[in-house]
Amino acid sequence: MRISFDEQLKLLHNDMIIMGALCEEVITGAVEALLDYDSDNTEQDSDVAWAKQNRFEQITQKIFEKDKDIDRMEREIESLCFKLILQQQPVAKDLRRISAALKMISDMERIGDQASDIAEIIKYIPNSSLRHKIHMREMSKAAAEMVTKSVDAYVKDDVELARKVIASDDEVDDLFRQIRSELISEVSKDASRGEECIDLMMIAKYFERIGDHATNIAEWVEYSVTGVHRNSEI
Amino acid sequence: MTVKICKIICIVSFFVLLIAAVVILGVSYSYYSDRLEEDLEQKMEYVSRGINISGPDFLEGLSANGTRITLIASDGTVLFDSKADPENMENHAYRQEVKDALSLGVGKSERYSETMSEKTLYYAQKLDNGDVIRLSDSQITWLSLTLSMLTPIIVIYVLAVIFSIFLSHSLSKKIVKPLNDIDLEHPEKLMEYEELTPLLSKINSQNKIINRQMEELERKQKEFNAITDNMSEGFIIIDDRAEILSYNASALKLLEASSKDEYKSVLSINRSESFRRTISTALMGERRESILQSEQGYLRIIANPVFEDNKTAGAVILILDETEKVTNENIRREFTSNVSHELKTPLTSISGFAELMKTGLVSEEDTIHFADNIYNEAQRLITLVNDIIKLSKLDEGVGMNNIESVDMGNLAEGICDRLSFVAASNEISIETHCEHRIIEGNRKILEEIIYNLCDNAIKYNKKGGFVRVNVTGSGESTLLSVSDNGIGIPKEAQNRVFERFYRVDKSHSKEIGGTGLGLSIVKHGALYHNAKITLESEPGKGTSITVIFPNKFKINSRE
Repeated sequence: MRISFDEQLKLLHNDMIIMGALCEEVITGAVEALLDYDSDNTEQDSDVAWAKQNRFEQITQKIFEKDKDIDRMEREIESLCFKLILQQQPVAKDLRRISAALKMISDMERIGDQASDIAEIIKYIPNSSLRHKIHMREMSKAAAEMVTKSVDAYVKDDVELARKVIASDDEVDDLFRQIRSELISEVSKDASRGEECIDLMMIAKYFERIGDHATNIAEWVEYSVTGVHRNSEI
Repeated sequence: MTVKICKIICIVSFFVLLIAAVVILGVSYSYYSDRLEEDLEQKMEYVSRGINISGPDFLEGLSANGTRITLIASDGTVLFDSKADPENMENHAYRQEVKDALSLGVGKSERYSETMSEKTLYYAQKLDNGDVIRLSDSQITWLSLTLSMLTPIIVIYVLAVIFSIFLSHSLSKKIVKPLNDIDLEHPEKLMEYEELTPLLSKINSQNKIINRQMEELERKQKEFNAITDNMSEGFIIIDDRAEILSYNASALKLLEASSKDEYKSVLSINRSESFRRTISTALMGERRESILQSEQGYLRIIANPVFEDNKTAGAVILILDETEKVTNENIRREFTSNVSHELKTPLTSISGFAELMKTGLVSEEDTIHFADNIYNEAQRLITLVNDIIKLSKLDEGVGMNNIESVDMGNLAEGICDRLSFVAASNEISIETHCEHRIIEGNRKILEEIIYNLCDNAIKYNKKGGFVRVNVTGSGESTLLSVSDNGIGIPKEAQNRVFERFYRVDKSHSKEIGGTGLGLSIVKHGALYHNAKITLESEPGKGTSITVIFPNKFKINSRE
């Protein structure tokens, strides 16, 4: 059965929403794993601690699974986009949508990879009261929110929201610099915590990169609606 | 239709003209040649008689008037010709008409000129003296006749065609006009054409049927909209590609989607994992229910597949707000687990002490100590069970129908008196400012409320702290406030302290005692009296709980 061009575009839109939702879920999962489930056993009640540990493992497992889903969806969407371009020769807005989708999926795929990298690091971080001391909570939440908003902007074709996402990247960058100096002072105080500090530094860097990818997605959303990418027409 | 009528008229007039022209040409031509022959015969009659009477000389004086007269001897020699010199003419004995005349008496023949434009008719007759007289006359052929008439025919033709075009145009317009003017909504009004009446009456009756069906549909649509728009449950219909076909306002409200956006895919309203999975399962042809947790609460999503020709054509999604149900369920579950936990702890220690004493190895001194512990734990159990019973009574509303007038001031002072000993042992002072306010209510429950509030204020206090109990009132309501300068309640716990077994101090420490049910009893008691509770607290500075009772007791609508 031949599916019409419009139907295929809708299919693409749906797939993009699903892939965006998966990205959101992996990053919120990573944030949750980072902030709520310390591998450190501070709970007095062993039952609660055990349940926590269990839940943590579930979350990280989910993240790895979803990262695989994201990779699979990237391939699917990619081939759908190429098929659309080759077989239907779209023009104007349709072409913009499809090419923007092609660019967006690679950013989304990177978000998935980085979230699973974060989950991988969290597994091996020792004591964790440090992560609550520095601005990690704010930063991870800000990055997750950027991803959510950029996906929202795509779903609703909301240029205003996309611009907000682009603007909020500076916030995440500032938080990253702050965390960096906090960690430096932490290491200089107690050199034995160097390993943990480096791990947290890497996590912060991943979040910063995720923020950049969310910005890219937002920029492509803006392009697909207005035809203007980074203030220049292409 | 106009064009067709026009075309037909033009073609018809073209052929009519063509046939008419051919017939006229043919008739006039045959008439003309008949006349010529007759004329020739008459002339022959005349000439032959003349020659028979007055000899060949008769010919000399004859004015031929276009007719050529030739006298031929019986051997074929031309004796006379009115148009040419007979000397130069060859022998005519073998000409068809002469031959016929010589043998039969009369001969006739026609010959065409080289150009075919003329036809010459020869007529020969044998004279009495054996000579042959021949008359000949030329006549234009049908071809040249046609050619000569061609110009006027063409002129007429062109005129006729132009005329017929005009005529047919206006005519067909006139024919078609009533058809165009038919008011299809009311076809019965007109009819110039009788032939169309059955068709129009058919249209008319079908119009009526269609209108009726449209009205029916509209009514059903309105009914459907009224139902779906007024129901608090969300309702979405999607097709097999998850495109939204229809939805109601509640669906958008429950899923927190702004209605101004145009939604194409149901996933653009909500793309959370459980929602996605529910939709995709339904579209694969299986009913699925799931609970969706949002910031506002819990939603139950029920997705039913819609089948058409054994294939899933879409799905119907129902969205129910189950916040209350889920929270109640959670509270109940928590309550059960808390109750068992709270009951288990004293029982474990009782059984532990008893086990030790059973062995008989415990010294007398320790026995007393253990028995004391067992007693304390048992007391704790009794208080707990009592509290649970009170709560469940409040829940069920059993045995609380004796509404009487209660003096809140007296009641509060009595309770404070009872508690003053406990307070003093904790180095806490109790101040009371009690007006005698009379309210209607259940004395036992009111007592429980005041007692629990004061008890808490004393328990969760610091050494040297104070508890202030005020009963004031104005008009229709009485205000009971219990404030202290104790440890206070942290902000995030303030909403939860009225829950059963909720303890700010998670370690369930036994030093303070208490069952975790006190404030829950206060809350339910206040609810029973339609009273309002406000809580103000700051950690480290103290807590103030105010209960505002209406003076008149009114059965709570919940009961």
